[in-house]
Amino acid sequence: MIELKNVTKQYEVGDQIIQVLKGISLKIRDGEFVGILGASGSGKSTLMHIIGLLDSPSEGQVLIDGKDASKLSDNELSKLRNHYVGFVFQQFNLINKYSVLENVLLPALYSKEKLPFDPTNRVLELLSKFGIYDRRNYRPNKISGGQQQRTAIARALIMNPKIILADEPTGNLDTKTGEDIMDLLKSLNKEFGLTVVIVTHEKNIAAKTKKQIFIRDGQIVKKYL
Amino acid sequence: MKFLSFLIGASFDDFRRNKVRTFLTSLGIMIGVLSVVLLIAFGLGLRNYIEQQFEELGTNLLYVIPARLIGEGGGLQAAGAAAIPRFEEKDVAKLEKIENVDFAAPYFETFSNVEAGGETKYTQVSLGDENMNSAINLEADIGRLFTKGDVDKRAKVVVLGPSLAEDLFGAKEAAVGKTVRISEQNFKVIGVIKSKGSGVLGGPGFDTIVYLPYKSSLRINPNKKFSALYIRVKSEGTIAQVKRDAERELSKTYDIDDEFQVVEQTEFLSTIASIFSILNGILVAIGSISLLVGGIGIMNIMYATVTERIKEIGIRRALGATKTDILSQFLAESVILSVFGGAAGLILAFMIVAVIQRFFPAEVNLLSVLAALGVSSAIGIFFGVFPARRAANLVPIEAIRYE
Repeated sequence: MIELKNVTKQYEVGDQIIQVLKGISLKIRDGEFVGILGASGSGKSTLMHIIGLLDSPSEGQVLIDGKDASKLSDNELSKLRNHYVGFVFQQFNLINKYSVLENVLLPALYSKEKLPFDPTNRVLELLSKFGIYDRRNYRPNKISGGQQQRTAIARALIMNPKIILADEPTGNLDTKTGEDIMDLLKSLNKEFGLTVVIVTHEKNIAAKTKKQIFIRDGQIVKKYL
Repeated sequence: MKFLSFLIGASFDDFRRNKVRTFLTSLGIMIGVLSVVLLIAFGLGLRNYIEQQFEELGTNLLYVIPARLIGEGGGLQAAGAAAIPRFEEKDVAKLEKIENVDFAAPYFETFSNVEAGGETKYTQVSLGDENMNSAINLEADIGRLFTKGDVDKRAKVVVLGPSLAEDLFGAKEAAVGKTVRISEQNFKVIGVIKSKGSGVLGGPGFDTIVYLPYKSSLRINPNKKFSALYIRVKSEGTIAQVKRDAERELSKTYDIDDEFQVVEQTEFLSTIASIFSILNGILVAIGSISLLVGGIGIMNIMYATVTERIKEIGIRRALGATKTDILSQFLAESVILSVFGGAAGLILAFMIVAVIQRFFPAEVNLLSVLAALGVSSAIGIFFGVFPARRAANLVPIEAIRYE
């Protein structure tokens, strides 16, 4: 379970202080399928980065299974990013000099522990499941946006994380491909019991989730369960 | 182990995809290493060359020079530069009477125009006797050297260095029997010496000199004074005794403090060594400048490389890479690049030295190799890792967003 307690985030731009998050508290329980909905600039992406330990709050606490993230070392945080969370970005954030297969394999190479599975086999399994097995030796910039996002999802899944965090996962895709990706994320939650958190500004995307959190000006304005 | 092979594999992969960048970075290190190693190899080569030239003269030879040239510590003294010819024929005779002296020989050198067949060359003219020929190891290639008979008869004969013979007559074979004109006097060429190599630091070598009997021309040496005397001792073991006796004998006529000095081969050699330690210092300084310039090149490319890869660093951090993982990766890349560039520079330096060694005793110095490799690698590694460290220390999301 991930719990945020009164999290704030502010940036200094020149001599101005911009308050992005203004005291957010929420709980994401294991197995939930959550949509964080908000307009551009509402702070929803920042919120997701804090949940995913890519950023740290200015104030407040992030508790991962009851442990305070601010008290963790870089190695411990890296380990959580590696094992506990899987990210899916709007821009895919694949490394273009590696093949699809190598991109998906990358998190496994950063694992400091012996893995209970063979990483290459698992990558091939995931690629088959997502219909991009025949693209395994391609560079990401040589395949379609939908295929890139599937590659990114496969990469997020390779380490068997507890939670998938997706930041506007359909933002760079056409409607049909976007729906396919949403169905894929939905099935991950339904079939494998993974916690899935999706950040989006599109209501119809958020509507596919089971629980929605609305963010405006850095504050939660509504929760639907 | 697996991570290490992944790192190395990833590095090579990165190099393959960025050939120009890889080449340029390595080039900086390569040039740095090459220039330092080569400069020092040349410096050492020059020293070896000069030492060889002196050693060829034999170790049972003493030189009497008309000033104090070499100080106590082996360094050159400024007074030596103002030396004027002062020795006379009777000094030669006195020296020959010393016990264990094989012979003493007079020597005078000057510069003059030498004309033949319409060609004129301004070159060194060396005057001596038949013993001078053997003291400086002259050997006839074509014709013969002058003899005691030529000296006594004041024969108007000369022996030419091979380069000079070629310059004046087109080919050294054509010189013998011809006439050359020096100080408005005609001399018959009786021989051409075997080549002894060109001069040091662009100075005249044995090959461009005209050798003639010292009694044959009053115009060339009107004062009949000699600029140096050679003494050959009968065996190496008697050098010290002969040197002492010669000093005692000559000090009856000349002031030992500034009018003459009896010098041994080993003293010349230690003087050469002390001159070349200064020269090598200068070469190291020049080499260090090129190493620095190469280093700045490496620094720029490394810095740009890491900066353009900050986003990649962010992605890796998001996937679970620790700061140490990121540093290891960039360290591996920098080390491989440095080793690659350094090895290329070394191979090239060894190849160039191997080619040059046919003409010149250049020598690769291990210390210069280590220093060059060490400094260029340190620069490469520092500027590869320092910006990567900065990127690894960013909050991951800031690195991912970096444009």
